[in-house]
Amino acid sequence: MIEARGLVKRYGSTAAVNDLSFTIRPGLVTGFLGPNGAGKTTTMRLILGLDYPSAGTVTVNGRPYAQLPRPMRQVGALLDAGAVHGGRTARGHLLCLAQTNGIARRRVDEVLDTVGLAEVASRRAGGFSLGMRQRLGIAAALLGDPRILMFDEPVNGLDPEGIVWIRTLMRSLAAQGRTVLVSSHLMSEMEHTADHLLVIGRGRLIADCSMAEFIARGSGQAVQVRTPQPDALARAAAIAGANVVAGQGLGELEIRGLTEEQVSDLAFAHGIRLHHLAATRVSLEHAFMELTADSVEYRAA
Amino acid sequence: MTTLTIAARPATRTVRSELTKIRSVRSTYWTLFVLVLASIAWCVAYCLGTVHSWPAMSAQDRAGFDATQDSILGLVLLGQLVIVVFGALIITSEYATGMVRTSLTVMPRRATLYLAKAAVFAAVSLVVSFVTSFGTFFLGRVLLASTHAGASLSQPGVLRSLVVSALYVEVCGLFAFGIGASVRNTAGALTLAYGCLALLPQLIRALPDSLHNALMRWVPGGDALNAMTATLGGRHPLLFSAWGELAVFAGYAAILLVLGAVQFTRRDA
Repeated sequence: MIEARGLVKRYGSTAAVNDLSFTIRPGLVTGFLGPNGAGKTTTMRLILGLDYPSAGTVTVNGRPYAQLPRPMRQVGALLDAGAVHGGRTARGHLLCLAQTNGIARRRVDEVLDTVGLAEVASRRAGGFSLGMRQRLGIAAALLGDPRILMFDEPVNGLDPEGIVWIRTLMRSLAAQGRTVLVSSHLMSEMEHTADHLLVIGRGRLIADCSMAEFIARGSGQAVQVRTPQPDALARAAAIAGANVVAGQGLGELEIRGLTEEQVSDLAFAHGIRLHHLAATRVSLEHAFMELTADSVEYRAA
Repeated sequence: MTTLTIAARPATRTVRSELTKIRSVRSTYWTLFVLVLASIAWCVAYCLGTVHSWPAMSAQDRAGFDATQDSILGLVLLGQLVIVVFGALIITSEYATGMVRTSLTVMPRRATLYLAKAAVFAAVSLVVSFVTSFGTFFLGRVLLASTHAGASLSQPGVLRSLVVSALYVEVCGLFAFGIGASVRNTAGALTLAYGCLALLPQLIRALPDSLHNALMRWVPGGDALNAMTATLGGRHPLLFSAWGELAVFAGYAAILLVLGAVQFTRRDA
């Protein structure tokens, strides 16, 4: 369980994290979402005590992270796969981490095996590819067999095979009843893995809800129609209180705020012919973009 | 799944980890190898040079020949440059590679981590500098055998010179370690450390005599090195004793170590 209360982190006059309060509940995969620069990494650094908050508190299992007696036994984190001394071998790297928490040497070989790095255990990490470094970082996170795992953008820069591997791993960790907090700026990444969502933009909390709620919260469904009388239908729909946008093709409209039955009845009542009528569910990606539209830091013109 | 944990106090575990860290990178072996090699090369060059010119030397020159100083001056003059790199890198390499974030995630008690790091570095460099100091002394004695000018440990000032020189090199490393913890950048730390050790003694020579004379004993490097290593010629009137000069320098290193500790524990990683 991770609890943040009124967390603020300022760099000069800008607040990277602004009054953030949330609870990461045990046994769930929580997706931590937000556009680039939203404050996801900063929040994770605050949880781990790497950065000190300007205000507010964050605790892990009821204590500030720095006061956990053997933090690796409770939390495993992968923030930056590059945070390794390139001159050290994979085994040497993990061994010096394990020793700080009094974790037995043979556990190092176990996790190397788990992440598929057993064969390159004696090679220096400096020569590792991004995917191998990512695996090494995950091995480090798993060393203490923690109940809580934190991954910051774990699939960034990985090839499809690596992405599948990480997704599978996260699901299996969750299936073992572990708490997983995984950040991403891609909604599609969450679709398969997250049970719960924490959405932030510009350091502020935008949404803290289950995946199902999040989808429902978006603008819901839209109805796509094609008609030879688009003007008449648009007028009728607008009067009925819907939001109408012209579609891409000739005579196409996108109507929000009415169900497909209502649109059909409306057309029938006004004697308007319909050539096409279909309800489309708004994709997660779309809902996410709508939700964070106001909080994107840099927008293309 | 066999997570066997070893019962040990956090400080003990962290020291063990730092020992693994220092042993598991090549740069440790390289820098220490260069330190030893440079010290030996100096000793060989000076002693063989003396052996060569010995027959032509006057009785006065022979009496003023300081075999101890000539044997170990390489450790002090060249060794200090190398140990500074070693001391700075121990901490700045963690920042350069990002390893420090991993280290602090697994060991969030920053003061413990800092002290463990400093202690392991101090222990390793202490062993190396003492072995080199005594090693080059005995090597010099062997090389100077034909002249019968070699010193022995029982002669006045010899043991003191060997011990103070080794400790001086050790303190140089801690000096750089403290700077490294504050500036978190290898190039910056080396520039500052070399500036203090090599440039400062030169700079004060440009000052008016009265000021220069008053400051001399407080400036690391330069003439203070002579006071620490010499076994002949008595005490320089403007300097403290060998131990005194070492204490002055150790004081600076202690201040930098404390400043480094404050930065390491208080600032965001």
